[in-house]
Amino acid sequence: MLTPTLTVAAKELLDGWRDRRAMISAALYCLMGPGVVSMVRLAVPDSHDGQTVLIAMMSVFTLVSAFSGGMNVAMDCIAGERERRSLVPLLMHPATRLDLLLGKWLAVAAFSAGGLALNLLGFALLFHRLPPPLLAACLIPLSLLAAALEILVSTLCRGVKEAHTYLSMLVFLPMMVGMFMVFSPVAGHGLWKFVPVAGQQLLLDAGMRGAKLDSLAMLFLSFGTAILAGMALLIAADRLEQDDVVYGG
Amino acid sequence: MIEVRNLQKTFGAVAALRDVSFLAPDGAITGLLGANGAGKSTTLRTICGVLKPGGGEVLVDGVSPAHDPLALQRRVGGLLDHAGLYARFTPRETLTFSGRLHGIPRQRLRDRVDETIDFLGMQTVADRPTGGFSLGERMKTALGRALIHAPRNLVLDEPTSGLDVPSVRSLRLLLQRTRDAGACIVFSSHVLAEVRALCDRVVILAGGRVVAEGTSAELCTRAGVANLEDAFVALTGAQEVAAC
Repeated sequence: MLTPTLTVAAKELLDGWRDRRAMISAALYCLMGPGVVSMVRLAVPDSHDGQTVLIAMMSVFTLVSAFSGGMNVAMDCIAGERERRSLVPLLMHPATRLDLLLGKWLAVAAFSAGGLALNLLGFALLFHRLPPPLLAACLIPLSLLAAALEILVSTLCRGVKEAHTYLSMLVFLPMMVGMFMVFSPVAGHGLWKFVPVAGQQLLLDAGMRGAKLDSLAMLFLSFGTAILAGMALLIAADRLEQDDVVYGG
Repeated sequence: MIEVRNLQKTFGAVAALRDVSFLAPDGAITGLLGANGAGKSTTLRTICGVLKPGGGEVLVDGVSPAHDPLALQRRVGGLLDHAGLYARFTPRETLTFSGRLHGIPRQRLRDRVDETIDFLGMQTVADRPTGGFSLGERMKTALGRALIHAPRNLVLDEPTSGLDVPSVRSLRLLLQRTRDAGACIVFSSHVLAEVRALCDRVVILAGGRVVAEGTSAELCTRAGVANLEDAFVALTGAQEVAAC
């Protein structure tokens, strides 16, 4: 099972890397957050409250970067495969569709994690402060979830254009959740810290402000996020078993 | 050897295959002949393991997917209706990727890729990305991908579609060499001249059913006509009248 999965992952990584225009666009998207926050910083007083606003903005952009980092690869590796009709030849290899899907997911997750790392690096340079290593590790499941959701959406689309439309909408999901968590008075209370995406926003906000991180909550959050990613992948794998994926209908 | 037994497949309310049975022996090219929508592509996709049969079964070298779920993919090399290549990959990389998915060990794979490139006469373009290839070069790369694991069974769905005369000729020679090496080849086309030139046996499909099979000469005798085109019209026309 591992060999076909890793073979597909390696192929998608190389293919994605060679698509330089898509790589540059994804990198610019991920660096947009540090760019915007650096401009807002000019207008915000260098006080505690000012820092709080900037860090809240940062947390939303960081969530978005997890989704935008792998978006182009997710679009190309399933919807793109269908459009250029390379999916049928791929399915003729002795590997289960779940193996093939997992390989693609790993590649998208790697690009998503890369986008996230680039975004955090940009913010680290801006704030002269690195996020705590435990916090950075806790964002890996977010990359896995972002990649799984993007793969799922891509399996539902017939071509790159359609996938681009829906994946662009999917990127709004972390943005909306992040904004809600920043502005809502209920955010930060109750079980929000265990909810995937919302929990990561709270962690980012707390971690960058230098507050103490709740290790148990981080563990539950990471576990819950990974389970959600697994569920999205199972739905995507089921979708890949349908005849119309082969016929492009 | 490919054996198709009572194959059925429906897509929603449309019955693409109603009852398809035939035997494609080793060392022979079996042609699937039929009008558009007769069920050729669906039959071939089912043989390649891409579609699951709605009823009936496909046995390859006597092995059924019921016993080995990936038996068809392991034993069949296929070139279905479109080359479907990765534009940023070279033929060498395409064949290497395919070979790895077939589980060919790394050292053996390198030799096998070189052999396949030589066999297809692609040495000059082997390290160029396929994105800028002509149709003939694309089809050769796709054929190489189908041959990389040295399958005993080869399935081709209208492989000459869109090719120029030298490419068709070159492909025909390649298929004859592969057949002479003992492979079982199933070849679909609606170009009768191509079928006559290449195929040892012909299976005629109409309306998702096999309406006749045999050599070209046998089909002509059975239809009481002088050429394959008239035989095809007579045999499939009779089926359509019967279906009405």
